[in-house]
Amino acid sequence: MIVTEQKAFTEVNESLVGHQKIFVIGCGSCATAWHTGGEAEVKEMVEKLQGAGKTCIGWAISEETCDERKTRRELRAHSSELAEAEGVLVMSCGAGVQTTALVLEDKPVYPALNAMFLARLQRLTRADERCLLCGECILASTGGLCPVTLCPKELLNGPCGGYNHGMCEVNPDRECAWVSIYHRLQRIGQLDRLHLIQSPKDQSKRGHPRLVDKGAA
Amino acid sequence: MALLNELFEAKKFVVTVEIGPPKGVDLTEALEDAELLRGRVDAFNVTDQQSSVMRLGSLPLCHLLKDRGLEPVFQITCRDRNRIALQSDLLSAYVLGVQNILCLTGDHVSLGDHPQAKPVFDLDSVSLLQAASLLQKGQDLAGKELKGKPQFSLGAVVTPGGDPVELQIIKMEKKVKAGAQFFQTQAVYEPETFARFMDKVSYLNVPVMVGIVLLKSAAMARFMNKNVAGVHVPENLIEEMDKAPNKAQKSIEIAARLIREMRPLCQGVHIMPIGWEKRVPALLDAAGL
Repeated sequence: MIVTEQKAFTEVNESLVGHQKIFVIGCGSCATAWHTGGEAEVKEMVEKLQGAGKTCIGWAISEETCDERKTRRELRAHSSELAEAEGVLVMSCGAGVQTTALVLEDKPVYPALNAMFLARLQRLTRADERCLLCGECILASTGGLCPVTLCPKELLNGPCGGYNHGMCEVNPDRECAWVSIYHRLQRIGQLDRLHLIQSPKDQSKRGHPRLVDKGAA
Repeated sequence: MALLNELFEAKKFVVTVEIGPPKGVDLTEALEDAELLRGRVDAFNVTDQQSSVMRLGSLPLCHLLKDRGLEPVFQITCRDRNRIALQSDLLSAYVLGVQNILCLTGDHVSLGDHPQAKPVFDLDSVSLLQAASLLQKGQDLAGKELKGKPQFSLGAVVTPGGDPVELQIIKMEKKVKAGAQFFQTQAVYEPETFARFMDKVSYLNVPVMVGIVLLKSAAMARFMNKNVAGVHVPENLIEEMDKAPNKAQKSIEIAARLIREMRPLCQGVHIMPIGWEKRVPALLDAAGL
Protein backbone atom coordinates (compact mmCIF):
# COMPACT_ATOMS: atom_id res chain seq x y z
CA MET A 1 0.00 0.00 0.00
CA ILE A 2 1.13 3.57 -0.71
CA VAL A 3 0.90 5.57 2.51
CA THR A 4 -0.27 9.14 2.08
CA GLU A 5 -0.97 12.02 4.44
CA GLN A 6 -3.43 14.84 3.99
CA LYS A 7 -1.90 18.22 3.35
CA ALA A 8 -2.90 21.03 5.74
CA PHE A 9 -6.15 22.48 4.43
CA THR A 10 -4.60 25.97 4.26
CA GLU A 11 -2.01 24.69 1.78
CA VAL A 12 -4.72 23.01 -0.32
CA ASN A 13 -6.88 26.13 -0.23
CA GLU A 14 -3.94 28.36 -1.23
CA SER A 15 -3.13 26.13 -4.21
CA LEU A 16 -6.74 26.60 -5.44
CA VAL A 17 -6.43 30.38 -5.45
CA GLY A 18 -8.30 31.95 -8.37
CA HIS A 19 -10.63 28.97 -8.78
CA GLN A 20 -14.24 29.11 -7.54
CA LYS A 21 -15.73 25.87 -8.89
CA ILE A 22 -13.91 22.77 -7.67
CA PHE A 23 -14.34 19.09 -8.49
CA VAL A 24 -12.90 16.56 -6.00
CA ILE A 25 -11.60 13.10 -6.91
CA GLY A 26 -10.81 10.39 -4.37
CA CYS A 27 -9.04 7.07 -4.79
CA GLY A 28 -10.72 3.71 -4.12
CA SER A 29 -7.43 1.94 -3.49
CA CYS A 30 -4.63 2.90 -1.05
CA ALA A 31 -6.07 6.26 -0.01
CA THR A 32 -9.36 4.56 0.88
CA ALA A 33 -7.64 1.83 2.93
CA TRP A 34 -5.53 4.42 4.75
CA HIS A 35 -8.47 6.86 5.20
CA THR A 36 -6.80 9.81 3.54
CA GLY A 37 -8.72 9.97 0.25
CA GLY A 38 -11.70 7.60 0.31
CA GLU A 39 -15.36 8.54 0.10
CA ALA A 40 -15.59 9.77 3.71
CA GLU A 41 -12.52 11.99 3.32
CA VAL A 42 -13.72 13.32 -0.03
CA LYS A 43 -17.04 14.34 1.57
CA GLU A 44 -15.15 16.02 4.43
CA MET A 45 -13.03 17.90 1.90
CA VAL A 46 -16.14 19.05 0.03
CA GLU A 47 -17.48 20.52 3.28
CA LYS A 48 -14.21 22.24 4.09
CA LEU A 49 -14.00 23.76 0.63
CA GLN A 50 -17.54 25.04 0.89
CA GLY A 51 -16.71 26.40 4.35
CA ALA A 52 -13.83 28.28 2.74
CA GLY A 53 -16.21 29.82 0.22
CA LYS A 54 -15.58 27.52 -2.74
CA THR A 55 -18.33 25.94 -4.82
CA CYS A 56 -18.01 22.16 -5.00
CA ILE A 57 -19.66 21.20 -8.21
CA GLY A 58 -19.18 17.49 -7.78
CA TRP A 59 -17.00 14.61 -6.62
CA ALA A 60 -16.09 11.11 -7.70
CA ILE A 61 -14.07 8.12 -6.57
CA SER A 62 -11.91 6.36 -9.13
CA GLU A 63 -11.55 2.69 -8.26
CA GLU A 64 -7.78 3.16 -8.67
CA THR A 65 -6.77 6.70 -9.56
CA CYS A 66 -3.40 5.53 -10.93
CA ASP A 67 -5.14 3.21 -13.42
CA GLU A 68 -5.69 5.46 -16.41
CA ARG A 69 -8.51 3.38 -17.89
CA LYS A 70 -10.50 3.29 -14.64
CA THR A 71 -10.00 7.01 -13.98
CA ARG A 72 -10.97 7.91 -17.56
CA ARG A 73 -14.14 5.82 -17.27
CA GLU A 74 -15.08 7.36 -13.91
CA LEU A 75 -14.46 10.92 -15.09
CA ARG A 76 -16.42 10.37 -18.29
CA ALA A 77 -19.49 9.77 -16.11
CA HIS A 78 -18.94 13.25 -14.64
CA SER A 79 -18.05 15.05 -17.87
CA SER A 80 -20.61 17.83 -17.57
CA GLU A 81 -19.54 18.79 -14.01
CA LEU A 82 -15.89 18.55 -15.01
CA ALA A 83 -16.49 20.81 -18.01
CA GLU A 84 -17.72 23.43 -15.60
CA ALA A 85 -14.97 22.90 -12.97
CA GLU A 86 -12.19 25.49 -12.81
CA GLY A 87 -9.94 23.26 -10.75
CA VAL A 88 -9.78 19.56 -9.85
CA LEU A 89 -8.51 18.42 -6.45
CA VAL A 90 -7.21 14.85 -6.29
CA MET A 91 -7.02 12.91 -3.03
CA SER A 92 -4.51 10.23 -3.98
CA CYS A 93 -0.77 9.63 -4.26
CA GLY A 94 1.25 11.48 -6.88
CA ALA A 95 0.71 8.72 -9.44
CA GLY A 96 -3.04 9.26 -9.16
CA VAL A 97 -2.77 13.05 -9.39
CA GLN A 98 -0.63 12.80 -12.53
CA THR A 99 -2.84 10.17 -14.12
CA THR A 100 -5.81 12.50 -13.56
CA ALA A 101 -3.89 15.47 -15.00
CA LEU A 102 -3.03 13.44 -18.11
CA VAL A 103 -6.64 12.29 -18.51
CA LEU A 104 -8.09 15.79 -18.09
CA GLU A 105 -5.50 17.39 -20.38
CA ASP A 106 -6.46 21.08 -20.27
CA LYS A 107 -7.88 21.25 -16.72
CA PRO A 108 -5.74 22.39 -13.74
CA VAL A 109 -5.28 19.49 -11.29
CA TYR A 110 -4.07 19.82 -7.66
CA PRO A 111 -2.88 17.37 -4.99
CA ALA A 112 -4.61 17.15 -1.61
CA LEU A 113 -2.17 14.55 -0.20
CA ASN A 114 1.53 13.94 0.19
CA ALA A 115 2.64 10.47 -0.88
CA MET A 116 5.06 8.99 1.64
CA PHE A 117 6.09 5.37 1.20
CA LEU A 118 5.26 1.81 0.19
CA ALA A 119 4.17 -0.02 3.29
CA ARG A 120 2.87 -2.99 5.10
CA LEU A 121 -0.53 -2.14 6.61
CA GLN A 122 -0.20 -3.52 10.12
CA ARG A 123 -3.53 -2.33 11.42
CA LEU A 124 -5.96 0.43 10.48
CA THR A 125 -3.79 3.14 12.00
CA ARG A 126 -0.29 1.74 11.59
CA ALA A 127 1.81 1.17 8.49
CA ASP A 128 5.56 0.78 8.12
CA GLU A 129 7.80 1.14 5.09
CA ARG A 130 8.68 -2.19 3.50
CA CYS A 131 9.94 -1.69 -0.06
CA LEU A 132 12.01 0.96 -1.85
CA LEU A 133 11.26 -0.50 -5.30
CA CYS A 134 15.00 -0.87 -5.94
CA GLY A 135 14.51 -3.19 -8.89
CA GLU A 136 16.96 -5.82 -7.59
CA CYS A 137 15.28 -7.85 -4.84
CA ILE A 138 17.65 -9.58 -2.40
CA LEU A 139 15.02 -10.87 0.05
CA ALA A 140 15.98 -14.46 -0.77
CA SER A 141 19.25 -14.04 1.12
CA THR A 142 17.95 -11.94 3.99
CA GLY A 143 15.13 -14.05 5.40
CA GLY A 144 12.43 -12.01 3.70
CA LEU A 145 13.37 -8.78 5.51
CA CYS A 146 14.77 -5.95 3.40
CA PRO A 147 17.96 -4.20 4.58
CA VAL A 148 17.70 -1.70 1.73
CA THR A 149 14.43 -0.44 3.22
CA LEU A 150 14.93 -1.16 6.92
CA CYS A 151 18.55 0.04 7.32
CA PRO A 152 18.91 3.83 7.06
CA LYS A 153 22.29 3.25 5.39
CA GLU A 154 20.91 0.56 3.04
CA LEU A 155 23.77 -1.72 4.09
CA LEU A 156 23.96 -5.03 2.23
CA ASN A 157 26.62 -6.91 4.17
CA GLY A 158 25.61 -6.76 7.80
CA PRO A 159 25.19 -4.06 10.43
CA CYS A 160 27.32 -0.95 10.87
CA GLY A 161 29.00 -0.40 14.23
CA GLY A 162 26.07 1.65 15.42
CA TYR A 163 23.61 -0.96 16.67
CA ASN A 164 23.26 -0.58 20.39
CA HIS A 165 21.69 -3.37 22.45
CA GLY A 166 20.21 -4.56 19.16
CA MET A 167 18.65 -1.22 18.34
CA CYS A 168 19.34 1.10 15.38
CA GLU A 169 21.55 4.11 16.03
CA VAL A 170 19.53 6.32 13.70
CA ASN A 171 16.10 5.23 15.01
CA PRO A 172 16.74 4.02 18.57
CA ASP A 173 13.11 2.86 18.87
CA ARG A 174 13.59 0.32 16.08
CA GLU A 175 15.53 -2.89 16.05
CA CYS A 176 18.61 -2.82 13.80
CA ALA A 177 17.58 -4.27 10.43
CA TRP A 178 20.51 -6.68 10.50
CA VAL A 179 19.72 -7.86 14.01
CA SER A 180 16.18 -8.62 12.79
CA ILE A 181 17.57 -10.40 9.73
CA TYR A 182 20.02 -12.35 11.90
CA HIS A 183 17.26 -13.59 14.21
CA ARG A 184 15.00 -14.44 11.29
CA LEU A 185 17.71 -16.41 9.44
CA GLN A 186 18.51 -18.22 12.68
CA ARG A 187 14.84 -19.16 13.11
CA ILE A 188 14.51 -20.50 9.57
CA GLY A 189 17.87 -22.28 9.62
CA GLN A 190 19.54 -20.13 6.96
CA LEU A 191 22.29 -18.41 8.93
CA ASP A 192 24.79 -19.56 6.30
CA ARG A 193 23.28 -17.02 3.88
CA LEU A 194 24.64 -14.24 6.08
CA HIS A 195 28.19 -15.16 5.11
CA LEU A 196 27.71 -14.39 1.40
CA ILE A 197 29.17 -11.08 0.27
CA GLN A 198 26.51 -9.03 -1.51
CA SER A 199 27.73 -6.97 -4.45
CA PRO A 200 26.89 -3.27 -4.49
CA LYS A 201 23.46 -2.49 -5.91
CA ASP A 202 23.04 -1.62 -9.56
CA GLN A 203 21.77 1.88 -8.84
CA SER A 204 20.89 2.38 -12.49
CA LYS A 205 17.83 0.19 -11.80
CA ARG A 206 16.58 2.96 -9.52
CA GLY A 207 17.31 5.69 -12.05
CA HIS A 208 14.03 7.47 -12.77
CA PRO A 209 11.65 7.94 -14.45
CA ARG A 210 11.26 4.21 -14.96
CA LEU A 211 9.05 2.71 -17.65
CA VAL A 212 7.96 -0.81 -18.49
CA ASP A 213 6.23 -1.60 -21.77
CA LYS A 214 5.55 -5.30 -21.92
CA GLY A 215 3.94 -4.95 -25.36
CA ALA A 216 6.83 -3.06 -26.96
CA ALA A 217 9.28 -5.96 -27.35
CA MET B 1 58.22 4.81 7.84
CA ALA B 2 56.56 1.51 7.08
CA LEU B 3 53.07 0.53 6.10
CA LEU B 4 50.98 -1.01 8.85
CA ASN B 5 50.74 -4.46 7.24
CA GLU B 6 54.55 -4.54 7.02
CA LEU B 7 54.82 -3.77 10.73
CA PHE B 8 52.36 -6.53 11.57
CA GLU B 9 54.28 -8.94 9.36
CA ALA B 10 57.45 -7.96 11.24
CA LYS B 11 55.59 -8.91 14.49
CA LYS B 12 55.82 -5.40 15.85
CA PHE B 13 53.23 -4.33 18.44
CA VAL B 14 51.72 -1.46 16.46
CA VAL B 15 50.62 1.81 18.05
CA THR B 16 48.36 4.26 16.24
CA VAL B 17 46.63 7.38 17.46
CA GLU B 18 43.57 9.08 16.08
CA ILE B 19 43.67 12.73 15.07
CA GLY B 20 40.78 14.76 13.73
CA PRO B 21 41.08 17.48 11.10
CA PRO B 22 39.73 20.85 12.30
CA LYS B 23 36.45 22.43 11.31
CA GLY B 24 38.14 25.10 9.24
CA VAL B 25 41.60 25.52 7.79
CA ASP B 26 43.77 26.26 10.82
CA LEU B 27 45.91 23.15 11.17
CA THR B 28 48.19 24.50 13.92
CA GLU B 29 46.78 22.36 16.71
CA ALA B 30 46.40 19.17 14.68
CA LEU B 31 50.01 19.36 13.51
CA GLU B 32 51.25 20.27 17.02
CA ASP B 33 49.46 17.21 18.42
CA ALA B 34 51.10 15.04 15.78
CA GLU B 35 54.56 16.51 16.44
CA LEU B 36 54.24 15.64 20.14
CA LEU B 37 54.03 11.99 19.12
CA ARG B 38 56.78 11.95 16.47
CA GLY B 39 58.79 8.77 16.89
CA ARG B 40 56.40 7.42 19.52
CA VAL B 41 53.58 6.02 17.43
CA ASP B 42 53.63 4.06 14.19
CA ALA B 43 50.87 5.96 12.45
CA PHE B 44 48.29 8.73 12.76
CA ASN B 45 44.79 7.69 11.97
CA VAL B 46 43.03 10.69 10.42
CA THR B 47 39.25 10.72 10.76
CA ASP B 48 36.87 11.35 7.85
CA GLN B 49 34.37 13.96 9.06
CA GLN B 50 33.87 12.00 12.23
CA SER B 51 30.32 11.79 13.61
CA SER B 52 29.14 13.28 10.29
CA VAL B 53 30.36 16.72 11.34
CA MET B 54 31.59 18.72 8.33
CA ARG B 55 35.33 19.37 8.60
CA LEU B 56 38.52 19.56 6.62
CA GLY B 57 39.02 16.30 4.74
CA SER B 58 41.07 13.37 5.94
CA LEU B 59 43.19 13.05 2.80
CA PRO B 60 44.80 16.53 2.80
CA LEU B 61 45.83 16.14 6.45
CA CYS B 62 47.20 12.65 5.71
CA HIS B 63 49.22 14.15 2.88
CA LEU B 64 50.59 16.98 5.08
CA LEU B 65 51.61 14.46 7.75
CA LYS B 66 53.35 12.34 5.14
CA ASP B 67 55.22 15.45 3.91
CA ARG B 68 56.47 15.93 7.47
CA GLY B 69 57.71 12.37 7.66
CA LEU B 70 54.80 11.10 9.77
CA GLU B 71 52.92 7.97 8.65
CA PRO B 72 49.18 8.53 8.15
CA VAL B 73 46.17 6.20 7.98
CA PHE B 74 43.49 7.57 5.68
CA GLN B 75 40.03 6.90 7.09
CA ILE B 76 37.53 6.75 4.25
CA THR B 77 33.79 6.37 4.76
CA CYS B 78 30.93 5.54 2.39
CA ARG B 79 28.69 8.27 3.77
CA ASP B 80 29.51 11.15 1.43
CA ARG B 81 30.82 9.65 -1.81
CA ASN B 82 29.52 7.26 -4.43
CA ARG B 83 31.66 4.47 -5.90
CA ILE B 84 33.17 6.77 -8.50
CA ALA B 85 34.41 9.29 -5.92
CA LEU B 86 35.55 6.59 -3.45
CA GLN B 87 37.69 4.78 -6.02
CA SER B 88 39.05 8.09 -7.29
CA ASP B 89 40.00 9.18 -3.75
CA LEU B 90 41.78 5.86 -3.19
CA LEU B 91 43.84 6.48 -6.33
CA SER B 92 44.46 10.08 -5.20
CA ALA B 93 45.64 8.85 -1.79
CA TYR B 94 48.17 6.54 -3.41
CA VAL B 95 49.72 9.22 -5.63
CA LEU B 96 49.99 11.50 -2.56
CA GLY B 97 51.96 8.78 -0.76
CA VAL B 98 49.09 7.78 1.50
CA GLN B 99 48.80 3.98 1.47
CA ASN B 100 47.38 2.96 4.86
CA ILE B 101 43.63 3.00 4.35
CA LEU B 102 40.93 2.38 6.93
CA CYS B 103 37.67 1.47 5.20
CA LEU B 104 34.53 2.40 7.11
CA THR B 105 30.80 2.57 6.48
CA GLY B 106 30.60 5.93 8.26
CA ASP B 107 28.08 7.43 10.63
CA HIS B 108 24.65 8.37 9.33
CA VAL B 109 24.23 12.03 8.40
CA SER B 110 21.33 12.38 10.84
CA LEU B 111 23.81 12.19 13.75
CA GLY B 112 25.96 15.10 12.57
CA ASP B 113 25.72 18.84 12.03
CA HIS B 114 24.17 18.69 8.55
CA PRO B 115 21.26 16.29 9.17
CA GLN B 116 19.49 17.53 6.01
CA ALA B 117 22.28 16.20 3.78
CA LYS B 118 21.66 13.29 1.40
CA PRO B 119 23.32 10.15 2.78
CA VAL B 120 25.14 8.27 0.01
CA PHE B 121 26.15 4.73 1.14
CA ASP B 122 26.46 3.58 -2.48
CA LEU B 123 29.05 1.07 -1.19
CA ASP B 124 29.44 -0.35 2.32
CA SER B 125 32.64 -1.12 4.23
CA VAL B 126 32.83 -4.60 2.67
CA SER B 127 32.35 -3.49 -0.94
CA LEU B 128 34.72 -0.54 -0.34
CA LEU B 129 37.41 -3.03 0.71
CA GLN B 130 36.62 -5.07 -2.41
CA ALA B 131 36.98 -1.94 -4.53
CA ALA B 132 40.38 -1.12 -2.97
CA SER B 133 41.53 -4.72 -3.49
CA LEU B 134 40.47 -4.59 -7.13
CA LEU B 135 42.29 -1.30 -7.68
CA GLN B 136 45.46 -2.97 -6.39
CA LYS B 137 45.01 -5.60 -9.07
CA GLY B 138 44.77 -2.87 -11.68
CA GLN B 139 41.02 -2.91 -12.15
CA ASP B 140 38.08 -0.79 -11.04
CA LEU B 141 34.58 -1.85 -9.95
CA ALA B 142 33.36 -1.54 -13.52
CA GLY B 143 36.01 -4.03 -14.65
CA LYS B 144 38.02 -1.37 -16.48
CA GLU B 145 41.80 -1.53 -16.54
CA LEU B 146 43.91 1.05 -14.66
CA LYS B 147 47.03 2.78 -15.90
CA GLY B 148 49.38 1.92 -13.03
CA LYS B 149 48.35 -0.05 -9.94
CA PRO B 150 48.18 1.47 -6.45
CA GLN B 151 49.36 -0.49 -3.40
CA PHE B 152 47.61 -0.19 -0.07
CA SER B 153 47.65 -1.52 3.45
CA LEU B 154 43.94 -2.08 4.05
CA GLY B 155 42.32 -1.87 7.44
CA ALA B 156 38.81 -2.13 8.85
CA VAL B 157 36.99 -1.86 12.15
CA VAL B 158 35.11 -4.22 14.44
CA THR B 159 33.21 -3.84 17.71
CA PRO B 160 34.11 -6.67 20.12
CA GLY B 161 31.30 -5.58 22.47
CA GLY B 162 28.60 -5.66 19.78
CA ASP B 163 25.49 -7.55 20.80
CA PRO B 164 24.92 -10.03 19.21
CA VAL B 165 28.68 -10.36 18.66
CA GLU B 166 28.16 -13.10 16.02
CA LEU B 167 26.97 -10.42 13.60
CA GLN B 168 30.21 -8.50 14.16
CA ILE B 169 32.26 -11.61 13.55
CA ILE B 170 30.42 -12.57 10.35
CA LYS B 171 30.97 -9.07 9.01
CA MET B 172 34.61 -9.14 10.11
CA GLU B 173 35.03 -12.39 8.18
CA LYS B 174 33.52 -10.75 5.08
CA LYS B 175 35.93 -7.83 5.48
CA VAL B 176 38.89 -10.25 5.61
CA LYS B 177 37.61 -11.99 2.47
CA ALA B 178 37.26 -8.56 0.84
CA GLY B 179 40.89 -7.69 1.57
CA ALA B 180 41.21 -6.28 5.11
CA GLN B 181 44.76 -6.85 6.38
CA PHE B 182 44.30 -5.41 9.86
CA PHE B 183 41.54 -4.36 12.24
CA GLN B 184 41.14 -1.74 14.89
CA THR B 185 38.37 -2.04 17.44
CA GLN B 186 35.82 0.18 19.11
CA ALA B 187 36.86 1.19 22.65
CA VAL B 188 37.32 -1.79 24.97
CA TYR B 189 37.26 -1.56 28.79
CA GLU B 190 36.81 -5.23 29.68
CA PRO B 191 39.86 -7.39 28.99
CA GLU B 192 37.82 -10.59 29.64
CA THR B 193 35.27 -9.68 26.94
CA PHE B 194 38.13 -8.84 24.59
CA ALA B 195 39.90 -12.13 25.32
CA ARG B 196 36.72 -14.07 24.49
CA PHE B 197 36.30 -12.06 21.30
CA MET B 198 39.92 -12.64 20.22
CA ASP B 199 39.46 -16.32 20.85
CA LYS B 200 36.37 -16.39 18.60
CA VAL B 201 38.12 -14.56 15.74
CA SER B 202 41.45 -16.38 15.95
CA TYR B 203 40.40 -18.49 12.92
CA LEU B 204 40.56 -15.34 10.79
CA ASN B 205 44.28 -15.00 11.46
CA VAL B 206 44.29 -11.22 11.06
CA PRO B 207 46.07 -8.60 13.23
CA VAL B 208 43.80 -6.70 15.63
CA MET B 209 44.59 -3.41 17.34
CA VAL B 210 42.58 -2.89 20.50
CA GLY B 211 40.79 0.46 20.74
CA ILE B 212 41.49 2.65 23.76
CA VAL B 213 39.44 5.74 24.56
CA LEU B 214 40.66 7.85 27.48
CA LEU B 215 37.95 8.10 30.13
CA LYS B 216 37.59 11.72 31.20
CA SER B 217 35.09 11.28 34.00
CA ALA B 218 32.58 8.90 35.55
CA ALA B 219 29.84 10.83 33.73
CA MET B 220 31.51 10.22 30.37
CA ALA B 221 31.69 6.50 31.16
CA ARG B 222 27.99 6.40 32.02
CA PHE B 223 27.15 8.38 28.89
CA MET B 224 29.07 5.91 26.72
CA ASN B 225 27.41 2.94 28.40
CA LYS B 226 24.03 4.35 27.53
CA ASN B 227 24.70 5.85 24.12
CA VAL B 228 27.77 4.40 22.41
CA ALA B 229 27.15 1.16 20.57
CA GLY B 230 29.14 -1.81 21.80
CA VAL B 231 31.01 0.10 24.51
CA HIS B 232 30.72 -1.00 28.13
CA VAL B 233 32.67 0.55 30.97
CA PRO B 234 32.38 -1.76 33.99
CA GLU B 235 31.10 -0.34 37.27
CA ASN B 236 34.44 -0.74 39.10
CA LEU B 237 36.17 1.54 36.57
CA ILE B 238 33.40 4.13 36.86
CA GLU B 239 33.82 4.06 40.63
CA GLU B 240 37.58 4.40 40.32
CA MET B 241 37.14 7.48 38.14
CA ASP B 242 34.47 8.87 40.44
CA LYS B 243 36.66 8.64 43.54
CA ALA B 244 39.89 9.87 41.94
CA PRO B 245 40.93 13.39 43.01
CA ASN B 246 43.00 13.79 39.83
CA LYS B 247 40.83 12.60 36.93
CA ALA B 248 43.47 13.04 34.23
CA GLN B 249 46.02 11.02 36.15
CA LYS B 250 43.49 8.28 36.92
CA SER B 251 42.37 8.22 33.30
CA ILE B 252 45.91 7.57 32.13
CA GLU B 253 46.45 4.98 34.84
CA ILE B 254 43.33 3.06 33.77
CA ALA B 255 44.14 3.25 30.06
CA ALA B 256 47.75 2.13 30.66
CA ARG B 257 46.53 -0.78 32.76
CA LEU B 258 44.06 -1.82 30.04
CA ILE B 259 46.80 -1.69 27.40
CA ARG B 260 49.16 -3.78 29.56
CA GLU B 261 46.43 -6.35 30.24
CA MET B 262 45.33 -6.63 26.61
CA ARG B 263 48.72 -6.37 24.93
CA PRO B 264 49.33 -10.14 25.07
CA LEU B 265 45.93 -10.75 23.44
CA CYS B 266 46.41 -8.67 20.30
CA GLN B 267 48.81 -7.15 17.79
CA GLY B 268 48.54 -3.44 18.49
CA VAL B 269 46.70 -0.59 20.14
CA HIS B 270 44.70 2.21 18.60
CA ILE B 271 44.38 5.23 20.90
CA MET B 272 41.45 7.62 20.54
CA PRO B 273 42.23 10.59 22.81
CA ILE B 274 39.09 12.65 21.90
CA GLY B 275 40.50 16.05 22.91
CA TRP B 276 43.20 14.75 25.26
CA GLU B 277 45.84 14.40 22.53
CA LYS B 278 48.45 16.19 24.69
CA ARG B 279 48.16 13.46 27.32
CA VAL B 280 49.00 10.61 24.93
CA PRO B 281 52.80 10.77 25.54
CA ALA B 282 52.18 10.27 29.28
CA LEU B 283 49.88 7.34 28.46
CA LEU B 284 52.52 5.73 26.25
CA ASP B 285 55.07 6.14 29.08
CA ALA B 286 52.73 4.59 31.62
CA ALA B 287 51.84 1.71 29.27
CA GLY B 288 55.49 1.00 28.54
CA LEU B 289 55.15 1.75 24.83
